[in-house]
Amino acid sequence: MAVINVSAGSEAVLVLGDSAANANVAGTTGLVVPQMQDITINNSTGVFRFKTLDNTAESAVTTPATNQITLNVVVDSTAFFGDTSNGDVVVQTGLFGCSKNKTRVHFNAAFDGSDSGSKFLSGSGFISGLAPTVNMDSPVWVTPVTIEVDGDYSNASVA
Amino acid sequence: MAIRDDLKANLDVSLAGSNVSVSSELPYSVGGETLYNKNMKHFYLDEDNIEITELFSCLDNNDVNQTETTVQGFLSVDAKNQPGDIDTVITNILNSKDAISNQTIRECEMTTENTNDVITYTFDFRFVTV
Repeated sequence: MAVINVSAGSEAVLVLGDSAANANVAGTTGLVVPQMQDITINNSTGVFRFKTLDNTAESAVTTPATNQITLNVVVDSTAFFGDTSNGDVVVQTGLFGCSKNKTRVHFNAAFDGSDSGSKFLSGSGFISGLAPTVNMDSPVWVTPVTIEVDGDYSNASVA
Repeated sequence: MAIRDDLKANLDVSLAGSNVSVSSELPYSVGGETLYNKNMKHFYLDEDNIEITELFSCLDNNDVNQTETTVQGFLSVDAKNQPGDIDTVITNILNSKDAISNQTIRECEMTTENTNDVITYTFDFRFVTV
């Protein structure tokens, strides 16, 4: 048993790219989402319950999951609005461009960094839920980000 | 430039011609007596007190910090015979907080204390920036 401690600052990492290869957590091409305050990876299955005459309790089966990644970030200008000098579409257009253009983004969500053997979840989906906000009590732009995952997650280890 | 310096520069101008002058010295004590009690009608500004705290803690350790700076100012005058322009002087000192730029919070609170025939005005300036 081993807990995953992310205090080092390089463990909980989300990398986005316009292809699975570019979103590689061990690569250098994708958009490493900076200054995440928190990240939640949802894999919420539905449940179908039914009753039968020969049972005293309900039976249940799970139905396909709703997969979603939600995070809150401090807005970084380059990550939010893009870096046109980069070849990857996600990096070029940034989080806002991907949301506006409905660009499919591939992701690697690393649990314990990018060293060999580190665990990560991957998949693809669409960015949604951007809502940048700022006020004088906390005068730095922050925004929630949601990745509505299309399909299933895959889990793997860094080679 | 320290906030104390900016406040003093502003007060040098706004209090010019009044009955109160701004001292460049810190409000230290000599023989148990503070300078502002010894030299009445002189406004003394203490050194900046700075506190840096985390505004946003981030998973990649690129935290967003905020800096809170507090500065105290002191002015003593004769309680029996206050300067005729004391209200204007106090207003100008309170308003000097607005001379500090690039702050999200600019506050100044004044309190008074009477000791014998001396009234001491204490000004607590508070500034917050990110």
